[in-house]
Amino acid sequence: MAHIPTAGRRARWRGAVYTVPLLVFLLALFVAPLVRLLQLSLRPVDGNNAALPGYTGHQYVRVLTEPFFYEALVRTIVTAALVTVLCVVLAYPAAYALARRRPGLVRTLLFVVVLSPLLTSVVVRSYGWVVLLGANGPVNRTLVGIGVLDQPAHLLTSYSAVVVSVTHVLLPFAIVPLTTALGGLDRDVLRASRILGAGPVRTFARVTVPLSLPGALSGALVVFALAMGIYITPLLVGGANQPLAGIRVYDQISTVFDFPVAAALSFVLLLITVLCTTGLGAAFRTWERRLHG
Amino acid sequence: MAAAVERDLPLTGAPPAGPPAADAPPAGAEAAGAAAGHVEIEGLAAGYDGHRVLDLDRLSVRRGEFLSILGPSGCGKTTLLNAIAGFVAPDTGRILVDGADITGLPPHRRELGMVFQNYALFPHLSVAGNVAYGLRVHRVPKRERAERVAEALRLVGLEEFAGRRPRALSGGQQQRVAIARALATRPAVLLLDEPLSNLDAKLRREMRVELRKIQRSVGTTMVFVTHDQEEALSLSDRIAVLNGGRLEQLGTPDEVYRRPASRFVAQFIGAANVLEGTVRDDGSLDVGGAAVATGLPDPVPGREAVVAVRPERIRLSPAAGAAGPAAGVTGTVSYRAFTGDAWQVEVRTAGGLVLTVRVADSGAGGADPPGTGTAVTASWDPADLIVLEPGAGR
Repeated sequence: MAHIPTAGRRARWRGAVYTVPLLVFLLALFVAPLVRLLQLSLRPVDGNNAALPGYTGHQYVRVLTEPFFYEALVRTIVTAALVTVLCVVLAYPAAYALARRRPGLVRTLLFVVVLSPLLTSVVVRSYGWVVLLGANGPVNRTLVGIGVLDQPAHLLTSYSAVVVSVTHVLLPFAIVPLTTALGGLDRDVLRASRILGAGPVRTFARVTVPLSLPGALSGALVVFALAMGIYITPLLVGGANQPLAGIRVYDQISTVFDFPVAAALSFVLLLITVLCTTGLGAAFRTWERRLHG
Repeated sequence: MAAAVERDLPLTGAPPAGPPAADAPPAGAEAAGAAAGHVEIEGLAAGYDGHRVLDLDRLSVRRGEFLSILGPSGCGKTTLLNAIAGFVAPDTGRILVDGADITGLPPHRRELGMVFQNYALFPHLSVAGNVAYGLRVHRVPKRERAERVAEALRLVGLEEFAGRRPRALSGGQQQRVAIARALATRPAVLLLDEPLSNLDAKLRREMRVELRKIQRSVGTTMVFVTHDQEEALSLSDRIAVLNGGRLEQLGTPDEVYRRPASRFVAQFIGAANVLEGTVRDDGSLDVGGAAVATGLPDPVPGREAVVAVRPERIRLSPAAGAAGPAAGVTGTVSYRAFTGDAWQVEVRTAGGLVLTVRVADSGAGGADPPGTGTAVTASWDPADLIVLEPGAGR
């Protein structure tokens, strides 16, 4: 630092000035509320669950010892992991098709289709699933009609419905980076694999996947982080009894009115998410270094 | 798939049907009376979106030969290579290797090798991993695999780099890894798609020598695509000159250079001066008012004829007064440039004809060729004239 010439240092400061608006924005609307939330999570409560002055670790003890909370946390991690795996697996063929397609109307339309879950409101999308999976919905009627089921199944309010609907919303976050990664693949590298005797499947497994892993990982990172915190979609499709951390937080705030324990649960969820994504990110960087180092 | 493994061609040492002498084209195939070559291409046509880019009647590659496919960009040479490799499906025609029709086979069943212009190494694998890739796919046992990787890397002189990543190598080294990788599976034919064009000039010349050396020691049939005539001339046993998707000429480098079959070949290789004119009564050619001695075999006066003369075959002398046909063409130097070992001089005649002349540099002590504006006579030995269209009544 001391060796940076004055001109260089001034240039660096001038560069930093441009980030001030964003910094102010983040401080006021992200960091400050987070600090308030942390403060709240450390408050004791009275008999009516109202926050009292003073500090206690009681809310965290509750979150980590009461099955109602920690089982939801475990379930959330499992669900997020499952959704992440599903998204990446489903994203590969879609991204492959998109990346191979030459730019044009068809490609644009395909992209619109892929991004459509993000372009519709949560409520509309979720009620779409409710209609689709309802007792009289097309899925049940088809299953009964072709004789797979004797009577309509409870597809709605099931855990599978939650996984399916959450995967649906988050799929674009996996497809987009993967499309970029696959599009950037050198066609000749794939051809080299083919001419060396590897068929399409082996080429995909040994060349396409390893080389597109950074794209898949960055998609997985986003999907996982979002799946950890998602609550409206599972709430509307799966119901308020789904044991997911996001729904539990919502529940504590809207029906139990225990704000401190909701805050504590939020913080534990945030911490787990940060730890998991950091781990994934480290793996991502290691692989990138192997490819480009 | 197992065929390639069992094909017991040693990687080094000439194969049974390899070229007998280094410079001579392999005579073995012809002597043995085998009419079919190692690779036979018959009536091959290919195109994209209804636009035909390749239309070859017949092209036969002999076993163990180094065949260059030479042509300008867009001539279909890369399409031809991709059709042989199986990356482009031809509209019609057949491709045979050792008599077996491979036209319908996918690339991974063709048992060919390919070296790409941009090397196309696997960035996530080490140098040894790259070379071992094809062997792994062919399920070569571990011990043999290690031996063959080492052998292939020794062939290209990169034994010490086995553990490196491709990115840590220079362009020339990467290209050598690509060659080792392609040869490790002992392919029947090695296809090379402008492999030297991404290297700088000095390295390109070195790699040219290296590539020829490798080809001689391994004896693998090589089909080499290039747009660089110098590369094709110096490397090949034979050259196939392609233009507009068609084969213009197939011959040894000196045949193609000394006896070009068409105007295109004459101009593309060695940039010959093409002279068009009418045959005069004395048998010489009237090119824009200048009389050119041609030595046409059977001149018919009044006919149109086309001849060509190489820039380095033209001599320049101070303008002579009486210009007979043998004395050459008089004109003025319109351009002169020093290119290192030679000068490029352009002579413009009164009739508007422009001749490109290459004058070897005579060194610091010698005299430079006449400068711009000087009146000169350009002459040549009629024997050096290439007759492209004799204009004779045949």
